[in-house]
This record gives sequence, structure tokens and C-alpha cells, in this order.
Amino acid sequence: MTGPRRSRSIGAPRPAYAVGVLVLACLLLAGCSNAKTSFQFQWPLFFQSIFGPDNQIKAGLVLTVTISIAAQAIGVVLGIFAALGKMSKVLPIRWFANVYVWIFRGTPLIVQLVFFYFGLGVAKIYGWPDLTIGPLTIEGAIQAGIFALGLNEGAYMAEIVRAGILAIDPGQMEAARALGMTPGKAMRRIVLPQAARVIIPPLGNEFNNMLKTTSLLFVIGVVELYSTFNIKQGEDYRPFELYLACAVWFLLLTTIWGFIQSWIEGRLARGTPGAASSSGPSLRARMLGLRNASGVGH
Amino acid sequence: MNQAEDHNLLEAIGGAPLAETANVVEVTDLHKWFGRNEVLKGVSMTVRQREVVVVCGPSGSGKTTFIRCVNHLEKIQQGRVMVNGHLIGYREENGRLVSDKEANIARQRREIGMVFQRFNLFPHKTALGNIIEAPVQVRGIPEDEAIEMGRKLLTRVGLAHKEDAYPAQLSGGQQQRVAIARALAMRPAVMLFDEPTSALDPEMIGEVLEVMKELAREGMTMIVVSHEMGFAREVADRIVMMDDGLIIEEGTPEHFFTNPQQERTKSFLSKIL
Repeated sequence: MTGPRRSRSIGAPRPAYAVGVLVLACLLLAGCSNAKTSFQFQWPLFFQSIFGPDNQIKAGLVLTVTISIAAQAIGVVLGIFAALGKMSKVLPIRWFANVYVWIFRGTPLIVQLVFFYFGLGVAKIYGWPDLTIGPLTIEGAIQAGIFALGLNEGAYMAEIVRAGILAIDPGQMEAARALGMTPGKAMRRIVLPQAARVIIPPLGNEFNNMLKTTSLLFVIGVVELYSTFNIKQGEDYRPFELYLACAVWFLLLTTIWGFIQSWIEGRLARGTPGAASSSGPSLRARMLGLRNASGVGH
Repeated sequence: MNQAEDHNLLEAIGGAPLAETANVVEVTDLHKWFGRNEVLKGVSMTVRQREVVVVCGPSGSGKTTFIRCVNHLEKIQQGRVMVNGHLIGYREENGRLVSDKEANIARQRREIGMVFQRFNLFPHKTALGNIIEAPVQVRGIPEDEAIEMGRKLLTRVGLAHKEDAYPAQLSGGQQQRVAIARALAMRPAVMLFDEPTSALDPEMIGEVLEVMKELAREGMTMIVVSHEMGFAREVADRIVMMDDGLIIEEGTPEHFFTNPQQERTKSFLSKIL
């Protein structure tokens, strides 16, 4: 086996390596333009979309990242409540949480999106008016998108959070309660902080997904990153160059996130030596598709 | 006997905690089922202030379940448990016992310190962090006061130099000493020990027993589930033998070791002594 290469075969490569591969791929594709085809590649359009993005692309990028963060935040909060709900002793709460997870994991996100935006709107249940907070106006479609993505994400996070909580030794809850903590306080102060360490790697994976899933919002007319490029290619019919550039932008976002994620995990592992061993690099690598950061090993 | 100031555990928490009643623990006719399996078949026990009771018996005799019922980590099906004059886990309504609110149960547990076989320290908190967590979060003591008390306690269990260590960086014996300090920091009226040394390597048992002996000498009321007969002989006021969900014999160490009445006790002692 080929030593260092092999250990990085799982996920996102090092920056230099990544750039190298991309340049190589571009050159190869550029070579294709010399072949006997009637199609002429317009590489300047591609490179300009990457290295000199216009304001539309920039706005799309900002929107994609903002929506992802907002929806993921909603998803995490809902996921925690749904996970606690699924484990509740009270039957109606358990029932409610289970039904929520069942519905949102069991139906396509795109259907949820159009239902919440068009369905609720046309039925005059909620028309998604624009929302103005200070200097900022949020379009109704963006609100609906964040809402639907967040609800959908919460259902997936519920299982992740639940698994994280169940991974914690029941002795921790007992010790906390023996010290006089109420179940809620024991959960907040003792169990959840420990579960967070188990949850972070799959949470990172979810956010990676979220960044890409925002592209579905084009169906309700949100001009995020994908939609921006979609409109552009409609204008000058250059789908090859523009969709390729779009893909590179998404790859860039997820790659940057990959580095942020491994940095966060490294910090978590440093802060608490006890827990670091329980979620070793192999688990992280598997769940996240991240390289084995050199700082993780003990 | 080392009664030097730097070993005095109860002084660190501001003197012996006040028990409000002469009998700190009163258990009456306790029955406990796990499904169809009756593990406690009517256990009664009274522990007076400053008394040290050691509970022994073969595995499966119900002794761990018994001690877990005292602070309501296990629900009970019949009988009653009173600690410091309070009914634990239940309240009386029209002569019947109904489950108490979680908040009330939590309040009652402040009076009861518990030390677990597997320590159960909080791995995301330092030794000092483990000790101050409940005083600050549950009793509402100002953090600087709690830290001062926590440092005193750590000094007196011999771990002043480990205050910033996380549990994973401590040996089993050190973890258990922190766990004892953590329970003491709540100023409980009674301390429960659930086989505190049985998860320890043999060379670490002594350091934990020393802390427990010191605590016993200072007058802490204690119920100790343990097979450490040396400890029992030295500090117990009373030894209780359990078998098959019942107390089958109890008495002073002298009685227990020199003149046991029950055949079951004799054979048990012959195996572990």
C-alpha cells in the first residue's frame, strides 16, 4: 500500500492536492476542445465565474451560506427537542415527536418546499409576506425555504441527537440526579455537553449536505448559488462552462467547511481528553469523510 | 490516628451537616420488583445520626438495589423510605403514597450523598469542576465560595495537585476520592457508598478506604455496601447481612465476626474472610 496517500483516500484532500487535481481536470477538459467536435469551449467564461465572480454570483453565494446556516441552526434546535421528545416519558410528547420525524423523513424535501411555499400560500393559510428586520428585508420565498429546510433537517438531527444522548453512560445521568439535579438540569449540564462531542461529526456531515441541498430552493424561486448559474446559462446557453463553475463553487464551500469542521473537532478533542478516545479519528473519518487530521491522534 | 487539620473532611464543608432527626434513615418494609422478580422482600433499616452501617451479602442479595432505593434511583413498590424526616420519592395523599414531583425528589436528594462503584465523574469537567457543579447549580452557592470549599476538599482527600485534571487523567483511586469529595460538597446528612472499591485495582483500594474511615471517624452518617470486612471491622457500628432480598442478620462487628447466628452468614463469611 502506498503509505501517506492511502490514509487520505477517504475524504477531502489537502488544499495543494485539491488545487492540483482541479487544474489537471481543467487542462484535460481544455484539451477536449481540440478534439473534432463542433462545440467550442469558452474557458474565459468559466474562469471568470470562478476568479472574477459578478455581483449576482456573490449574492447567490451569500444567500446559499446564509440559508444553510439558518436552516441548520433551526434543524439542530428542533433536533434536540425532537430527540428529547422521542425519549420522553409522556406518551403524547413521544407520539408527537415520532410523527414529526416520520413525516419529514418520509417525504421528499422538494415536496415539502413547494407545499409550504405554494400550498400554504394559495390556500391562504400563510402567504409568506416579506419580512423586514431593521435594514434587512427577507423575501417570503427565502423564509419558506429556511423554514422547510430547517423542519426537514430537524427530523434528521433528531436521530443524530438521540444516538448521541444514548451513547452517554446512564451513570452520568444517575450521578447528576443523585447530586440533586432535576432531569432537565442534568440533561443540560451533564448529558448534552457530552453528547455534543458525539454529535459534532455527523452534524458536520449534515451541514455539508445542507450547503448542497439549498440548491433545491430554486423550485420556489430563491436565487441562491445554483439558481444564479441556472439563470445565467439560460441567458447565453453555456451550460457546460457555467454548471461546471457552479459545481466548483459548491465544492469550494464544502471543502472550506471540511476544514472548519476538523478544526472544531480538534479543539473539542483537546479540551476534554476523556472523551477524545471515545470518538477516535477512524469514527470521525467515517462519519465525516474527513482526512485524519494530525492533531487528533493521542 | 491522623486527626490533623489537613485531613478533616467535614471541617472543609463547614462542619458536620445537621441532621434534623435522630434517625437519619428509616426504611420500613421495602419491597422492590424488577418485572416479576421480587428483589427486595420487605427490608427495614434504621440508621441513627453518626452511625456507620455496612451492608454485605452475596451478589444478587439485593444490597445494591437497597441502597439505590434510599435515594430513589430505583422506584419502590411497597414500603417507605424516610431520610432526614422526609419521605423519599413519594408523598402521602389521603393515606396513599403517590409519586412525588421530580423537583421535590431532586430537592430531597441534596440531603443524600452517593458514591458509585464506577465513580461516574463528569468527564467533561475537571476534578474541581466536578466538585463545584452541584453546589453552584443546585444549592446556588456563589462560585468563588464553592471553589474555596472544593479546593479544601481536594486537599483533604490528598488531591490538591489534581484540581485541573480531567477524570480520564486520574487513576481509579483518585477518581473515587474526587467522587467522595463531590458528594460531600453538597453537605449531605447521610452518605451512601455502593461498592465503592470493587471497581478498583487492589493497590488503590487502601487510599479510598482511608478517606472513608476518616469520614466515619468524624461522625458522618454512612451506609456502605461493601465486602471490605477489614473496613467493616474497624469503623462499622453495625453490619447488616442480606440474602435473597431480606436482611437475615445484623449486629455489631464483634457479634458478626465472632458469633454469627445464621448458617448463611457463617458460610458467607468463611468465603470472603
